[in-house]
Amino acid sequence: MPEKIFEMQKISKSFPGVQALDTVDFDGKYGEVHALIGENGAGKSTLMKILAGAYRQNHGKIIVKQEETHFSSPREAQKLGISTIYQEFNLLEELTVAENIFLGREPTKNRFFLDKSYLFGQSEKLLSQLGTQIDPHRKIKYLSVAEQQMVEIAKALSQNANIIIMDEPSAVISGKELDSLYRIIQGLKNSGKAIIYISHRLEEIFEIADRATVLKDGKLVGTVFPSNVDKATLVKMMVGRSLSETFPEKVAGEKSEILTLKNITQGKSLKNVSLRVYTGEILGISGLVGSGRTELARIIFGADQFDAGEIYFGTEKVHKNSIRKSISRGIGFVPEDRKKEGLIECLSVGQNITLLILDQIKKWFFIQKDREENIANGSVEQLNIATPDIDQEIQFLSGGNQQKVILARCINANPKVIIMDEPTRGIDVGAKAEVYSLIRKLAGQGTAIIMISSELPEIIGMSDRVAVMHEGKMMGVLSSAEATEEKIMMMATGYGQEN
Amino acid sequence: MHLKEHRETYVVYFILILMVLVSSLLSDVFLSLRNINNILRQSVCLGLVSIGQTFVILTAGIDLSVGAVISLTSCLTTGLLMGRDALTIPVVLLVLAIALSIGFCNGFIITRTGIPPLIVTLGTMELIQGGVFLYTDEPYGQISPYLEVLAWGKLGFIPVSVLLFVITLVVGIVILRQTKFGRHIYAIGGNEETARLSGIKVNRVKIYTYMLCSFTAALTGILLASRMGMGDPTAGEPFMLESLVPVMVGGTSLMGGKGGLIGTLAGIFILTVLNNSLNMLDVSGYWQWVVEGVIIVVAVAFYLRGKNWD
Repeated sequence: MPEKIFEMQKISKSFPGVQALDTVDFDGKYGEVHALIGENGAGKSTLMKILAGAYRQNHGKIIVKQEETHFSSPREAQKLGISTIYQEFNLLEELTVAENIFLGREPTKNRFFLDKSYLFGQSEKLLSQLGTQIDPHRKIKYLSVAEQQMVEIAKALSQNANIIIMDEPSAVISGKELDSLYRIIQGLKNSGKAIIYISHRLEEIFEIADRATVLKDGKLVGTVFPSNVDKATLVKMMVGRSLSETFPEKVAGEKSEILTLKNITQGKSLKNVSLRVYTGEILGISGLVGSGRTELARIIFGADQFDAGEIYFGTEKVHKNSIRKSISRGIGFVPEDRKKEGLIECLSVGQNITLLILDQIKKWFFIQKDREENIANGSVEQLNIATPDIDQEIQFLSGGNQQKVILARCINANPKVIIMDEPTRGIDVGAKAEVYSLIRKLAGQGTAIIMISSELPEIIGMSDRVAVMHEGKMMGVLSSAEATEEKIMMMATGYGQEN
Repeated sequence: MHLKEHRETYVVYFILILMVLVSSLLSDVFLSLRNINNILRQSVCLGLVSIGQTFVILTAGIDLSVGAVISLTSCLTTGLLMGRDALTIPVVLLVLAIALSIGFCNGFIITRTGIPPLIVTLGTMELIQGGVFLYTDEPYGQISPYLEVLAWGKLGFIPVSVLLFVITLVVGIVILRQTKFGRHIYAIGGNEETARLSGIKVNRVKIYTYMLCSFTAALTGILLASRMGMGDPTAGEPFMLESLVPVMVGGTSLMGGKGGLIGTLAGIFILTVLNNSLNMLDVSGYWQWVVEGVIIVVAVAFYLRGKNWD
């Protein structure tokens, strides 16, 4: 049994309104690949950010190489040999491979001049250790994503890292590149490094991990040896939970087909996706991050174009879709990233609410202030938005109330179809329940709801039907009765049969 | 509109009033009707072009070509008129139309190519200014007697130029506060992606703001020509950067979405009162630059306070 290189004991961490981690134990050993798995929001990233010194735990101990440590910055963690390779690479595009590897630690001659021969020579050595032939003189922007990942790994090695955290490395690469990544991980392992491999793809756990620790809702479910368990056991550990949230009763409104997608294809992100959407029901779309859910939503809304396939709105075929056309057809969109795509932070609550319906409240050229106030106040009351008044700038509201404002904006335009991408992301439990009952009420009134969500209980608790996507393909549509967490998870990881 | 904006605007006006008080204590003639008239008159040229600039900056853009447009319109007006009254209306209309099409080109290039507005308008600035110098490299042409009224005429006791400024300002404020177009400007400046996802014609709105900006620059150009009696190919030079100052001092964020014309108005007066009182105190023009520079930095630091300091 190899010796432990680090140990995290009873780690707890809370953010305002969320207990992200609750007394979690985790450790790593020399020459071992330890997988950390769980659903989105299970606490994997938070745990690893604590280990990497980016966050501080509220409670618990971290012991690295037999010594208790308190990191106050990622730099301190790096000094102890802990390196993280994030999904979003920390590389400067305009600099060369070698300059990136030694960024911030540039070797110098006479304390002032760059030691270029050491810089490039050492970089070449590191890269060839990894078995790649990347030229250290090339600029990052000319490298493929997989090559950039190699540079990140080389950077970690150059810092003498012996604990390497990889945050979903397989999310950005595939196929042959993945195979060579596995080979490199194997090599690092053989040289005695401890690798933490974060993922939610089960197949790779069985491929490379020596141990696997499962987190769920910030709690430790258990640590297992993949060689001793099967897939179903792991899935059950990841999702099997008590349904603590309460969802409104599923009462569907009048049902008729309103939106039909036929064989929609877009680049590499969507392949032959077909889907029927009915009025009066909530259609949940489930799938892992990167499965094409958001791309599909944006195509339906006209924010992006598709390469092949057909979209019918009612019986009318949609040609050359655009956002404006979609809005005038009666499609509403609640985007995934509230801050970047949903809010206009400098505008007031009222102005955010009426953004889509200025045409209806203006007379000649002028916005009728009294009508605007009436509508905004009506929405604030109807959706129970907590704000001092409608003139408050929206940036001062809580996440839940901001989300309600965006929903109000969408609803006021009276859409027939509403696409919601992660409608409850980052909002507190109370606001969640209110958003759920609002969504159900809209469906009851005959609106077609397309709800994308990463949270399985939400998908199951809310949806009348569940469409599951995997790597740009539609894996199938489950009825409310068929949809269980295990079944959805199997399909979302590519194990169901596609149709 | 927003409480916070109001509070900041109050502060700017408070400073303006303070400056007026200090100036009137230092100089007896400062508050004389004559001098007030003077200040108003001096405010007008910078004021007009700053109104247009405010629109552009609210969308997170910038227009550096205004100076060149002012030079161009001042020379074209007098060059085409050559003192002929009968041509006044067609020439003015033609000059305004040319300015609008320059604004259209600015906006079109910016929205179609994605080149930053700073670079595009710097380019058009050079292009237009070069064209003006090819047309004439010294003061040229003659204003028509009708158009002289613009600079020198009075309606009752109000100068016509001040009236033109007040009308433009009021129209600007109404557009920004009460029309859909105005709301769209704030939305685009606040968050362009959200604006696009809300079905706002982002490109079109931006193009309109550049057209408006060139339009107000042309008004300034014509007014300057009217004041001097002839067109001056360097008339607009100081306005390229000067037109930004009242906007920034008045609290409109260069990042867009925040601010407005009430603030810009205060910025205009702060600058002219400063120049006027320092002139009366016989302080060198170079000192005026120094003080102006300090004001710009202090004002913008005030608006950003706390934001980047934690």
